[in-house]
Parts: sequence; structure tokens; C-alpha cells
Amino acid sequence: MRLRIEPLKCICCGLCETVCSLNRDSVLTPMTSSVILHIEDKANYFGLVLKTKSEGLVVARPEGVSTGQQAAGSGGPGAKPILLREPCDLCGGEPKCAKICPTGCIIVEG
Amino acid sequence: MWRAEMYLRNGRIVTFDLSTGESEEQEVTDESAWDNLSSIKIAEKLAVGSGGNSIILGTGVLTGSFVPAACAGLVLANGRLIPILGFAGLELKLSGFDFVVLKGKASEQGYIWFRDGIIEFVPAQAFRSMDSWQRTDKIRSDQGDGEIQVLCNGPWGDGGNEAAQLIVDHWGGEDKFGMGAELGRRNLVAIAFRGMGELELAEPDRHFEDAFLMMREHIGRLGANDGFASYTQLAKRDDFARLVHRHVACYGCPYPCRSFLKVYEEPKELRLMAKEPGYLHYDIPGLSKAFESGLDAKDATVALIKCAKAGAEPASVISKAASLGGKVSLEKIDSVLSRPAEVKLAKMLNFEASFGVAGQYEACLGLGLCPRYWSKVGFDKTEIASFSESTLGTQFSL
Repeated sequence: MRLRIEPLKCICCGLCETVCSLNRDSVLTPMTSSVILHIEDKANYFGLVLKTKSEGLVVARPEGVSTGQQAAGSGGPGAKPILLREPCDLCGGEPKCAKICPTGCIIVEG
Repeated sequence: MWRAEMYLRNGRIVTFDLSTGESEEQEVTDESAWDNLSSIKIAEKLAVGSGGNSIILGTGVLTGSFVPAACAGLVLANGRLIPILGFAGLELKLSGFDFVVLKGKASEQGYIWFRDGIIEFVPAQAFRSMDSWQRTDKIRSDQGDGEIQVLCNGPWGDGGNEAAQLIVDHWGGEDKFGMGAELGRRNLVAIAFRGMGELELAEPDRHFEDAFLMMREHIGRLGANDGFASYTQLAKRDDFARLVHRHVACYGCPYPCRSFLKVYEEPKELRLMAKEPGYLHYDIPGLSKAFESGLDAKDATVALIKCAKAGAEPASVISKAASLGGKVSLEKIDSVLSRPAEVKLAKMLNFEASFGVAGQYEACLGLGLCPRYWSKVGFDKTEIASFSESTLGTQFSL
């Protein structure tokens, strides 16, 4: 099982971030999630960075998806960089980010 | 009433005295302190308790939850109430405070900065020559975090002009009541915050499942989303549609009302190219007044950019430009923006006009829910109250 991201379907709602922490730590916070919503608001440039066990970082930019790279940014030094976070555990078999995503941007495969 | 476990609350209210630079925190563990679920009512109470001349920031009890479009916070000052949307409501709640009370007046120009339960005043004399976008970028750069939420004044707010608009993360639309002037009168150029805290839910799994089912029901009923055009006919015009880049949601909203238009580069360009390619539209009266004055979608967007940078309420600016006679042009907008003292607040409602029923707007915003979204799907207090146990651990009635 893996998560596939279709970044152009993303509407920047941020639910994937908070639901990830809810499943992992039973609290709401974007700071511990395995998926980060990267936003450059003035340029309207946004996408997702997902830390996985099998593919490294999945960087889902508007112009395409790449894997195995370091995130270009995760909110700066004031935020918790994704490299310091736990990788996605697929919520034990039913990924909540894919379930709550209102546009089908995050899809479960396999 | 709900119990004092502080589900979806921090249990902390901070009062910051701009005159002295001192802050005082109030730990709120007594459930009677939260006997009113409306954040508006609590903010009004705090305003009275702090002398009546304060700026109050707060969030609703459901802000940050998985209830659809639970994105809203609020700012209250001098009887003026505005929502704060996007990610500002969520970040405000995660900053460590449920309510922030700013009283007094700073002796020099600066901004309030809070995160992780820490609040401080940062002098910013150099901001005087900057517009609201430059100020927002400067605060994020100086504090080292590009996702800091910034409620920012432009030069109009510095001067205390009645049509000064508080800009939320570069965009205007929330403030139709001259909140920018309220900051300016207190020597504040901005209020900045970052949410790095965490919040608990009484029954996380149940809350998630209930919210998921509600959201799916809404989506099934609403059908395909077309951003701003799903909420206003103004955005269905061809010249507007041609410039649409992407639609953008506020936190937790499955059916966004925001559409970004690119006017300084190809609208369909997906790569990160221009740093300031356009504007995020969600201001219905601003766009309405621009179209009414004869501006096309491109010039209307440029006009709104100019107003946002100045921190000026656009319907007021465009109304003034139209009153001068002749065709409204961007040159005329520039001319009006250079003479703020001549502009009166247009008092055209945006989110406040979402509901046709009195009291619904306040009830919705007071809970931390977006009034525009909930007017679209139908605001049913009984339906919202069904989240009480999974969210707060007890029954509440609305």
C-alpha cells in the first residue's frame, strides 16, 4: 500500500496535516504530521511534502511529483522540519489523510 | 457548559498592555469562565473587563476541529467585529492562547508577535515606509518562518483613516469596518502569530468519523466546486474566468470560495515564477464595486492589489474614484489612494452578508465556523450540537 498525490487537485485546506497528527498522537497539530502543506501564499504556490518509509520524501509540487528529495522548505527554522518527523505509517492500513481529503488529491494505491 | 478538560481550548487568556509592554496571563480552568460557547460573547466580555478600549483576538470553540470550514477566528475592537479566515483562525488557536487582549497604546510603532504562549511587542519604525505586503514579508523574514500569520496594516491604517483595511496574509476581504484604523490608533502596524501548539479532542476517532460523514454529505449536495464563482455571479464573467489560476480553501473547507487570479503572468503557469503574480479574490463587495465602476477583471484585480498594499478598503476607494466623474481607471485609483483623508468607509458587507437571517452570522462565527460556507450548506444548530460529545466531552446546547 502507498499514497499517491495528485497535487493539482489540492485546494490547500490543510486537513491532511491535522488528521495525520490526530492519528499519530491523538492531538490536533500540524507540527508532528508526516505530511506538510507547503504554501507560498503571495505567489499562490502550494503543494504537499510527504515523508514515507519506502520512497523517502514525496514532493508534490504543482508542476509534478518527485520522490527521494529533501523538501525545499517546511516553514523555516521556526517550524519542525519534515526530516525530523516520523514517516507515514499509513494509519495502520486506512490512511486518514486520503479519507478526509475533500478533492481526492491523496489516493491510496495497492 | 462544558467541562474543564480544555478540549479544543488552551485554557489561557493573555492581556498585553501596549503602553507598558507588560503581559498578564489568566489560566482558565474554571468551567464557569467558558459558560458561553460564543467567542463573540466572550470577546465582548473581555473588552468590557479590560476597560472597553482594547483589541480582542479570539477563536471559536470549534476552530481547528474537523467540522467542515472550522477556520474562523475574530478580531473585536471598539464595537467593530471582523472574522479572520484562511489559516489565521487555526494558527491563532494553536499559538497557545484562546483570547488575546491588547490594551493601551504603544509609545512607538511596532507589531505584536506571539507563538508558543509567548507574546511580545516588536518595535518597527522602519515599517513606516513599507506597504502591507512588504511588512508581512519583513515580519516573516525577521522571525524566520514563512508561515507566520500576519494581520497587517498598510499606510492607511498608520494614519487612522476610517477606510483603512486590516490585511490578512496579503489579502483583503475580512475587514469591512476599518479595523486597520483601530490598530493604527494604537501604533500597531501588525499582529503576527504562529501556531505550534496542540489541541485535544474528547473522542478523536468519533469526531473524525462524524465530521467526515458530514463533509461527504455536503460535497455530494454541493457538487463541483468552482471557487469564487460557486459563491458569486461576479466570478462567472469570462474575463474573470480566463485569469483564474487555482482555487484556494481556508483551513478545513471542502468547498472553497477563494480564487487566485494571475494578472502579471500567464494564469495557467504552474511553476513558481513571479513572486507577486496576482491576487486572491474573496471580497464580493470589492469586486462588485470594481465591476460596477467599469473596470474589467484584470484592472479590478490590479485595483484590489493596490488597495491591499495600501491597507485600504477597496469598495470605499473605488466608490470615491467613481464619484470624481468620468471613467474609473487605475490612474484614478492611484490618485485616490494618495489622498486617504478624502475617503469615507463604504460600509459594504462581505462575510457579514452571508445569511439572510438575523443572528446566524454571529452564531456561526462565534463557534469558529466560516459564515459563507455554512450559509451555503445550511447552518443547523442541532446538527452542530451533535458534535458536542466527541469534541468537548459533554453535551452543549446552542
